[in-house]
Amino acid sequence: MPTILCIDDEALGLQIRKAVLERAGYKVLTAIDGPAGLAAFRNEPVDGVVLDYYMPEMDGGAVAETMRRERPDIPIMLLSAYINLPTEVVELVDVTLLKGEGPLELLEKLRVMLRAASSPAAGRLS
Amino acid sequence: MKPVAFNRTLRQLVALPILLLLILGSFLVWQIQVTATAQRELDHSDQITARLQELQNLFIDQETGLRGFQLTGDPVMLAPWKAAAGPIQSEFAELQQMLAGDPAQMANLAALNNRYNQWLGFADAVLHQDAAALNAEGMNQRGKAMMDAIRANVGTMQKHETNLREEQYRHARWLQRRELLSLLISFLIVGIVLVFFTRHHIHAISASYLRRIAEITRRSEELHESQQWFQTTLESIGDAVISCDLEGSVTFMNAVAEGLTGWKLGDARGKSLETVFRIIHEETRQAAENPVAKVRRLRKVIGLANHTVLIARDGRESVIDDSAAPIMSDTGDMVGVVLVFRDVTEERQMQSALVASEKLAVAGRLAASIAHEIHNPLDSVANLHYLLDQETDPEKRAEYLRLAQQELGRTMQISRTMLSLYREPKAPIEVLLRELVDGVLLLLDRRLQHQGVRVETEIADDLSVEGFPAELRQVLTNLIVNAMDASGTKGRIRIRVQRAEAGELRGVGALIEIADSGPGIPPETASRLFQPFFTTKGSNGTGLGLWVSMGIVQKHGGSIQIGESDDPNLPGASIRVFLPARTFAGAQPLSA
Repeated sequence: MPTILCIDDEALGLQIRKAVLERAGYKVLTAIDGPAGLAAFRNEPVDGVVLDYYMPEMDGGAVAETMRRERPDIPIMLLSAYINLPTEVVELVDVTLLKGEGPLELLEKLRVMLRAASSPAAGRLS
Repeated sequence: MKPVAFNRTLRQLVALPILLLLILGSFLVWQIQVTATAQRELDHSDQITARLQELQNLFIDQETGLRGFQLTGDPVMLAPWKAAAGPIQSEFAELQQMLAGDPAQMANLAALNNRYNQWLGFADAVLHQDAAALNAEGMNQRGKAMMDAIRANVGTMQKHETNLREEQYRHARWLQRRELLSLLISFLIVGIVLVFFTRHHIHAISASYLRRIAEITRRSEELHESQQWFQTTLESIGDAVISCDLEGSVTFMNAVAEGLTGWKLGDARGKSLETVFRIIHEETRQAAENPVAKVRRLRKVIGLANHTVLIARDGRESVIDDSAAPIMSDTGDMVGVVLVFRDVTEERQMQSALVASEKLAVAGRLAASIAHEIHNPLDSVANLHYLLDQETDPEKRAEYLRLAQQELGRTMQISRTMLSLYREPKAPIEVLLRELVDGVLLLLDRRLQHQGVRVETEIADDLSVEGFPAELRQVLTNLIVNAMDASGTKGRIRIRVQRAEAGELRGVGALIEIADSGPGIPPETASRLFQPFFTTKGSNGTGLGLWVSMGIVQKHGGSIQIGESDDPNLPGASIRVFLPARTFAGAQPLSA
């Protein structure tokens, strides 16, 4: 099963999201901020990233940008409570999800994103 | 012609004829004297002639007396002879004096005197001879010859005198003619001089007079035109204008003033200003001070208090903004008062709309941050609900339920906090500034963290002011967000709240200083920051934040100033907000 890296500064939310993903069968790594997430991204075998946008110090946009530069093949899902995310950040990631859309939406979007990433011809989803 | 020149010319016009007449008079007197002298000479000649005649007659009397004595020998006959002897001598003496200036006549007189003496010698001889000898032929002949010579001599003298008189008479006549002629010529000259001289001056005066008349006509026309121009200007001006005399009676009002007051100028003229221009305070509904009285007291331009409402004749109300100014005469005396005002009802509504719009924008931003705060726990709850649905293990289900309960509790706490923060009292209350600042920082905490902005606070404990907390929070939020935007990522903000002692223009209160590490505010921007719609944030700002903040602070009786901080590590702007300990703000919030 694919390994998913979850990054969010909300510790409780992060743990619950991890439980949801594990129940769906994914192997889940967690990080509590951007730098920790990047460290895991570099050192662990990761198939996909679920990234929170709004984090202190280093936000999701900056984290996604670094990841894209280092390993552009790894798909990234950006989570946010905001509707109006900066356009350049939205264009940078594979898919965005509004917090509160629910776990089913999360799992479906993640599944589609990973499948698209594993077959290069399919291109990215938006 | 200037008044001085005009007076000089007038003086010349009077003085010259007088002078000329004086000269003419002197000339005339001289002429008369000359003529009088000639006349006296004529009289002199006449007197001499008369004396000569008298002398002749006396000679005849003597001769007659002598002849009678000769014929009769009677001494009685000698009476005329004796009577004439004395007068003859005195006549001679008189003539001697009168002829003193004429040598020829003097010689004649001497000859006459000589002959007369000879004749007297003859007469003496006759008187002392006897009667027979008296009538002797030779004697008579001799006496007669002597007397004839005397007569001839007198005749000569008379003739001489007659000739002289004739000559003098001609001279006098000539003098008279000369006098007449010279008078005529003098008059002519004087006339000509007067005509020439006065003609020039009278022309000058008349030209000056005509010019003056033309100028007065032109000025009066200009005055009329300028009056028309002012009338038209005042009529077409967009503001309402009412002028009054010093007693406060309306003397003029333009069409806009007629519209706002509901009075026609014809009805209003002469009425007192209070009748036509009824103003009250918008909120208290108390009659506002009569501006005429105030201008008379202060003798300068005054602006009416804010919130002035004008009540028209038909009861219609309009919020007005106005000023009153004294009308000064050329001499600096106050002669009246002019009021200029305009209807700001719509403007006031527009301002209220703008304030409301900024409030909405603030509410929008607040809603976004609330949504963010609430979405995180809600997302967890949704996830937990999914896990509960999937989970059969009672222990895990209980754990999920507990977590869901915790997250829901967090959501409710957030919403409760927000509600408590934004509940607005009807009247100003005591606002603890530490709580106020902490509350705002709590709301902004996520953004501050996100941007990595460090906030230092130096807040005096238990320092409070009177005011509306939500409005003050809006001000603080606005100023801190501005400082955040200015300081950028990893910037620094210092919030200092300290007690402000009473100053010259303000009472005791609190001074809130917000300094940032941003680039600072250029002076040309600083002056415009408090204008509505001015923003340095492009499409991210409404340009209303500082304008509304200023309104709120002013409503609380405070002030906002932009400056620089004393800390070299905070080179950016330093905003100082003064809030008085006791506010005069009314019970109504700023916006509608």
